[in-house]
Amino acid sequence: MPLAMSASSSTPAQAPAHILARGVCVDFTVAGRVNRVLHDISLAVPKGGFVSLIGPSGCGKSTLLKVLAGLLAPTAGDVSVAGVAPIEAVRQRRIGIVFQEATLLPWKNALDNVALLMEVAHAGRTADEIRQRALDMLRLVGLEHAADKRPAQLSGGMRQRVSIARALALDPEVLMMDEPFGALDAITREEMSEFLLEIWERTKKTIVLVTHSIDEAAFLSREVNVMATNPARIIEATPIDLPYPRNEESYAAPEFARATARLRRLLKEGHRQAVAA
Amino acid sequence: MTAMVNDEPARIAAGSDAGTGRIANARVAFARFMPAFALFVGVIVVWEAVARIFRLPEFVLPPPTAIVGVLVAHQRDLGYAAYVTAREVLWGFVLSAVIGGAVALVIARFAAFGRALYPLVVLFQNVPKVALAPLFILWFGFDLAPKIVLIVVIAFFPVAINMLVGLQTVDSNLIALMRSVGASRNEILLRIQIPNSLPYLMAGLKVAVTLAVIGAIVGEFAGAQAGLGYMIQFASTQMQTSLVFAALVEVSVLGMLFYYVIEWIERRYINWMPRAD
Repeated sequence: MPLAMSASSSTPAQAPAHILARGVCVDFTVAGRVNRVLHDISLAVPKGGFVSLIGPSGCGKSTLLKVLAGLLAPTAGDVSVAGVAPIEAVRQRRIGIVFQEATLLPWKNALDNVALLMEVAHAGRTADEIRQRALDMLRLVGLEHAADKRPAQLSGGMRQRVSIARALALDPEVLMMDEPFGALDAITREEMSEFLLEIWERTKKTIVLVTHSIDEAAFLSREVNVMATNPARIIEATPIDLPYPRNEESYAAPEFARATARLRRLLKEGHRQAVAA
Repeated sequence: MTAMVNDEPARIAAGSDAGTGRIANARVAFARFMPAFALFVGVIVVWEAVARIFRLPEFVLPPPTAIVGVLVAHQRDLGYAAYVTAREVLWGFVLSAVIGGAVALVIARFAAFGRALYPLVVLFQNVPKVALAPLFILWFGFDLAPKIVLIVVIAFFPVAINMLVGLQTVDSNLIALMRSVGASRNEILLRIQIPNSLPYLMAGLKVAVTLAVIGAIVGEFAGAQAGLGYMIQFASTQMQTSLVFAALVEVSVLGMLFYYVIEWIERRYINWMPRAD
């Protein structure tokens, strides 16, 4: 019995990986010259985990996310999401994607924007069911009152919530987010961070987040992969020992201060090496 | 830039409350058109004064009052001529819109065919098409057909090129999202690209409709038995300059009517693009 207990309360690191990357390399050929964008990247994200990729601009973190999300095939290495190749995981609708821009259709209202991918996916839902599900998703992101508003009538934060609702509508297991709050002002950003944690706790999705904000990465993630350039690589997978649920007060916690200090030091080291190289 | 983006919700809000809003709208409209109206009246007054003070012969420059007199005296002839020309413009414009739109869709949807078609369309655009008018008269007679053909070859290009830009300026992330849920090329075209192209199409249609009026007049110059262009040519050979101007007034009014019908359709139905006014 004690044995069973210890097995069920296993730490994330021991849980089977939901997203797994081994020796991933990506080369881009520009004008005949081969450019290594990602070099020998390995990472593991447990099911229900929240992992961030942080690094300087141009370190390849967005490219890595594209590889994990099945939008880009790696030059070398293996990637699996829920035990299958990312492309296959995409086909099975296991991956939801949120970009920095909300990428909503300006001529459709919030509800129809959330319904868009469901309508295309033909997942055996009737029009009524799709509408109901879209409404539920808007309720989840706190925008049921804005269902008939077009993107131009919504604030940047609200647009991004609609985009998150759209990604969640197909009930993916994994949410891949590429600097989703990068275009928002500081206060809205923190609000959206807390909102995202709430969504994460309620939906139990596995989340991979690309960000260049140290605070955001530390506040949200269980683990932060710190990346550096020249060659583009992960220099450390830093666990964040800040207890959940996290809220405004978490920013004042000593664990938060320790985590951000470590991340900052790692980023600076990576930067110095890059400059020296 | 911010003002432009914010204008959209404001305009929708202004349109939604009827009672007092309508009066306010009328006042705003009045304030907007006042400068143009004042300038117009000023030019007419100066014209009248110059014609009278310098006692210019009427066949050189008739005063506006004389033109108004002819407009009234010849209203039946002018009315019929306007009807003939309007019919040419309408058919020519509608066909230009249909053919221009079809060319854009074909180029956007079938890449290989598009690569073959696009250079030819551009090449054809560089032919001085007004010079083709006598040929069309030769081939299609003196009636409606040669004018329609001339209008189409002049006016389809702005429709095609504008719509093509609209079909192609679609967020690549949005396309990636659509692909990720298994959307076919036709679905992406139908749900994303075509709606996205509509504001661009409207811009093309506005250019096309003014070109259509020019095409009709030039077509009538080249050979016709009725119409405002025919009337202008006939009246000028008779030194009836007042009648030339009267016909010109009707051409301008006709062109403006067509233009503002399109403008109205755009404001009513395709109103998601931020505008500068």
